[in-house]
Amino acid sequence: MNRIPPYLKKGDMVGITCPAGYMEAKKVKACIKALQQWGFEVMVGKTIGSKSNTYFSGADEERRDELQAMLDDPSIKAIICGRGGYGLSRIIDDINFKKFTKYPKWVIGFSDITVLHAHINRNVGVATLHASMANAFNDPLQEKYVRMIKKALEGEGMRYKVRGNRHNKKGEAKGELVGGNLSLLVHLLGTDSAYKTKGKILFIEDLGEYLYHIDRMLLQLKRAGVLKNLAGLIIGGFTDLKDNSRVFGETVEEMVLRLTTEYDYPICFGFPVSHGVDNVPLKVGVEYVLKVDKDVQLDHLTYVTK
Amino acid sequence: MMERKYFLQLSSLGLIPMAVKAIIGPKKAKLKMPRYLTTGDTIGIACPAGYASKEDVAPAIVALEKWGFTVLVGETIGKRNNTFGGTDEERTNDFQAMLDNDNVKAIMCATGGYGSVRIIDQLNFTNFKKTPKWIIGFSDITVFHAHLHQVCSVASIHAKMCGSFPKDPTTADPIQINALDTIRKALLGEQLNYQAPSVAMNRVGEAKGELIGGNLKILENMSGSISSPDTAGKILFVEDVSEPLYNIDRMFCNLLRAGKLDKLKGLIVGSFTSIKPDTPDSPFGKDVYMIVMEKVGKFNYPVCFDFPVGHQKNNVALKCGVMHELMVNSDGSILREIV
Repeated sequence: MNRIPPYLKKGDMVGITCPAGYMEAKKVKACIKALQQWGFEVMVGKTIGSKSNTYFSGADEERRDELQAMLDDPSIKAIICGRGGYGLSRIIDDINFKKFTKYPKWVIGFSDITVLHAHINRNVGVATLHASMANAFNDPLQEKYVRMIKKALEGEGMRYKVRGNRHNKKGEAKGELVGGNLSLLVHLLGTDSAYKTKGKILFIEDLGEYLYHIDRMLLQLKRAGVLKNLAGLIIGGFTDLKDNSRVFGETVEEMVLRLTTEYDYPICFGFPVSHGVDNVPLKVGVEYVLKVDKDVQLDHLTYVTK
Repeated sequence: MMERKYFLQLSSLGLIPMAVKAIIGPKKAKLKMPRYLTTGDTIGIACPAGYASKEDVAPAIVALEKWGFTVLVGETIGKRNNTFGGTDEERTNDFQAMLDNDNVKAIMCATGGYGSVRIIDQLNFTNFKKTPKWIIGFSDITVFHAHLHQVCSVASIHAKMCGSFPKDPTTADPIQINALDTIRKALLGEQLNYQAPSVAMNRVGEAKGELIGGNLKILENMSGSISSPDTAGKILFVEDVSEPLYNIDRMFCNLLRAGKLDKLKGLIVGSFTSIKPDTPDSPFGKDVYMIVMEKVGKFNYPVCFDFPVGHQKNNVALKCGVMHELMVNSDGSILREIV
């Protein structure tokens, strides 16, 4: 069983850091304001709006040291990442989770931050929050989802109801929720940071990929045994997909169903976890109940049994 | 005394040999070399991945026949299912027929693209393992090289494919013609020796080991699967095309974190062509040389850059699974097949 970090109370401190790509200081202002309005204190790391002139928000050491400091600082109760991009794979093996294990806190993010979710889930055994990051607070369309982060951090039980999709495979699943960005999930295969998925509910999402590449990644999950013993599968948004002049000829839904025909767990499509507008907070490492019927419902197990 | 008694008891039960075996692990099958070809032998051509028209493969047929071989054109040549050279079933069946046909002494893939990984688990290598034959290709065909090495223990040829043969060899770039001719040499069993220029970022040294490798993206794609090659004690070569720098970095991170770089004897870096440009306001800040050296900085095996392998005219035939010697010094690099 994974440990659940303490939920936040008014006055608690939230740290903001950029462990991957660069982010301008002004892009984090809306997030700071919202967190303060929610009653939290905010600590903004130096990687936000740093002097870096490269892709990264700072050198590996700078990004690592800041994440390490925030993980170790007992006054920080949650860490929200500024944005994703790429960069966590370069520093993850140099992060020490000793203090974090003793005093767990919420780590929030998605996309490249999938590396943290998976690594912590596999090696540390602490629940994390897969959700939009600081940059999403600038987008009025995402306000609804941003507000859900507050609820998630305060420990409010959450229930997600999604309209049915004709491709859905009906059924009910109960299990620990794991997942994230598909490109990162396959990137972690073969390493010590890959999720163990047996008996779990897996969610995946991605963006900007070629269809043939999605197929190749799904096939890699399958060949690595990731899809075999799932309790359930949640397909989020696959946004801004690309295709070649030689068209691929199959949709993501068709690919998923083809690669999972021999498995009988429930599968739902179009779940609001994505790089698009719709991105609900999901607690990685926490038990959920997934019901795929006419509609789809995802509940915390504790919420259901309450 | 207690320990000794315990030891004796265990050995009398026959448990010691088992325990030792468990530590060493099952012995890996010795690599099988397909028979080299002689004039008159048949080479099959097939599409396990992307599609190729009959016209696309015509120059290759002319060249292979000129080299003295007979060509068997597979049923997938000219077939098309969207991006693929036929449906998965058609590509599987064609390749299976080539694997099982005793007259076919080598199979040259028509083109790369995408699709090998969709059929690799459907292919039956039982006959092939008994009487192995050369499989030729690169890029997406890295799936085969990895799988044949790791699962079948059979050597294969990483080289250009049918699509690379020029329509008019007389006007083609000599570099391309030479690279294509190394396929002929490889098939006939000539010892293959190559040179690469001196590169400032090279790490000097000498290495001896089985040569394995291919397309970096595909090697990452194999991670976590049964086809992912064990690289310990081997010389690894990598190349890729049309990837952004951040992704090249990420893929090397995967190899490093998956334990594929730490026990190498040597590393050969081919070309990384048509690298997708960074967005102007956020340059990645490291080139391929830096990306590689950063990952292998703590190891001390030789590293050779700018080796003639990749998505370019100068893409020479390399025998995967076969023992090679790599020498990297200030004058440049030499890769020599150990016969």
